[in-house]
Amino acid sequence: MAFSKLPDDVISQIISLTTPRDACRVSSVSTSFRSIADSDQVWLKFLPPDHDKLVLPQVSPKKSLYLHLCDHPVPIGGNRNMVSARFETWSEPHIFSLDKKSAKKCFMIGARELAIPGGDDYRSWCWIAEPNSRFDQVAQLLFAGWFHIKARLETKMLSPKTRYAAYLVFQFRCHKSGFHRPAVSCVSVESDTDTHREWPTVVLDPGEGEPRSTRERGDGWLEIEMGEFYNENGDDGTLECSFKEVDEYTLRSGLVVEGIELRPKETY
Amino acid sequence: MSSPPSASASSSPPPCPKKMITLRSSDGATFEIEETAALQSKTLENMIHENCASTLIPVPNITGEVLARVVEFCSKHAEAGVDDESLGAWDEEFVAVDHTTLFDYIRAANFLEIPTLLDLGCQTVADMIKGKTPDEIKKTFKITTACTPEEEEEVRGENQWAFE
Repeated sequence: MAFSKLPDDVISQIISLTTPRDACRVSSVSTSFRSIADSDQVWLKFLPPDHDKLVLPQVSPKKSLYLHLCDHPVPIGGNRNMVSARFETWSEPHIFSLDKKSAKKCFMIGARELAIPGGDDYRSWCWIAEPNSRFDQVAQLLFAGWFHIKARLETKMLSPKTRYAAYLVFQFRCHKSGFHRPAVSCVSVESDTDTHREWPTVVLDPGEGEPRSTRERGDGWLEIEMGEFYNENGDDGTLECSFKEVDEYTLRSGLVVEGIELRPKETY
Repeated sequence: MSSPPSASASSSPPPCPKKMITLRSSDGATFEIEETAALQSKTLENMIHENCASTLIPVPNITGEVLARVVEFCSKHAEAGVDDESLGAWDEEFVAVDHTTLFDYIRAANFLEIPTLLDLGCQTVADMIKGKTPDEIKKTFKITTACTPEEEEEVRGENQWAFE
C-alpha cells in the first residue's frame, strides 16, 4: 500500500520527525501532502517545547509563528527588573532564535554578558551603543596587549543531538591594529579534562593573499568560527567558548565585539 | 524411602504460569503472545480488560503475515535483560524491509496503538525523506498524485529557503 494511503495523522507524525526544510519540500509533492505538511500538528513539533514562555506575537498558524521566530530573534533570560546602575540599561543576556532549516536553537550572548577581564578598565575597553546591534551595548577594545573573551552557556539550553559551532561576532574600527597576529580559541565543556589539547589559532585580520576565515554575516558584522561542540543530551554541564591573544606584547586596538553566537554547524 | 524434612524454610513458590493470549488475524491465522507482551498495545490492553474471560482476541484489520511480525516485536520488547544497544540493533533489522511491509507495520502499530513500533516505523520513513528533493521523494515512494506545476511553483515561491 502506498505512503499516501497511510492515515493523515500518521503522515503528520512522519513529517514532524523530519526537518522544517524537508516538510516544505514534502508540501510541494502533492495537494494532500501540502495540507498535512503545513498543518499546526507538524509545525508545533518544530517549535521549541517551551515557546509559549517566550514573549511572542500572536501569529497564526504555527508555521507562520515558527518562521517569525526564525526571522525575529527574541531576548531571553536576563533580569528585566535589574537596571544597571552604571548604564541604566536592561540586562538581557541572550538573544534566542531558531535555525530555519533544522529548527535547532541558536543563542547569541551579548558582549555585556561575556567575561572580559579588564572589561571595566576604561583605558582598554569602552562600552558603546551601536545602531545595528541587537544589544544595547557592544564592547570596543581601545588599546590592550592582552585580551581574553569568554562566553558560558548551559548545554541543557541547546538542542540535543546537534553539532554546534561558536562564532565571535565583531567589527573593526578604522584604527584597527594587531589583529594580523594570531589569537587562539577553544570551545569545551567542564567535563572535558583534556587540558593539553592545543587551541587552534585564528587570525581576525589576515594580510593580503593570506587565507581568510572571517565571514560577513549580512547584518553589518563579521564572524569567525571559534570551535565546535557536539551536544548529545544537554547534560554536559557548562559550555565555555574562549577567545584570547597568544602574545601579550602585540598591542591591539580597534576591535568591536557584539557577542558570541552558538548555532548548529550542520548544513541541512 | 522418605526424604528428610528440609532444614531450611519451605522451597520458593513455583513460578507463575505466564498468561498467554491468542490473537486471530484477518485471514484466520492464530498467534500466541504472552499477556505482558500484548500489553504494549493499548488496543489489546483495553480488549484484555474488557474481555477478561476470553483469551482469544480477533484482530480483523491485520493479516497473519504482519501480525506474526508484530507479535515478534512486542515479545522482543517485553523481554527482560536486553540492553538498549542490542535492542536498537534488533529494531534496525526489524525495519529493514520493503516499503509495503514497512507501511503495513506502521498501519498495524497505529491500529493496535503500539507507541514503540509506531515511533520506530515513522522514524524510519522520516529518515528516508530527509535531505531529498521533491522529485526524489515522489520517486522513492512512487507518489503519482502530484501537484499541478502552478501549485508546485506557488509552494516553492512561499518557501524559497527550503529549496536552496
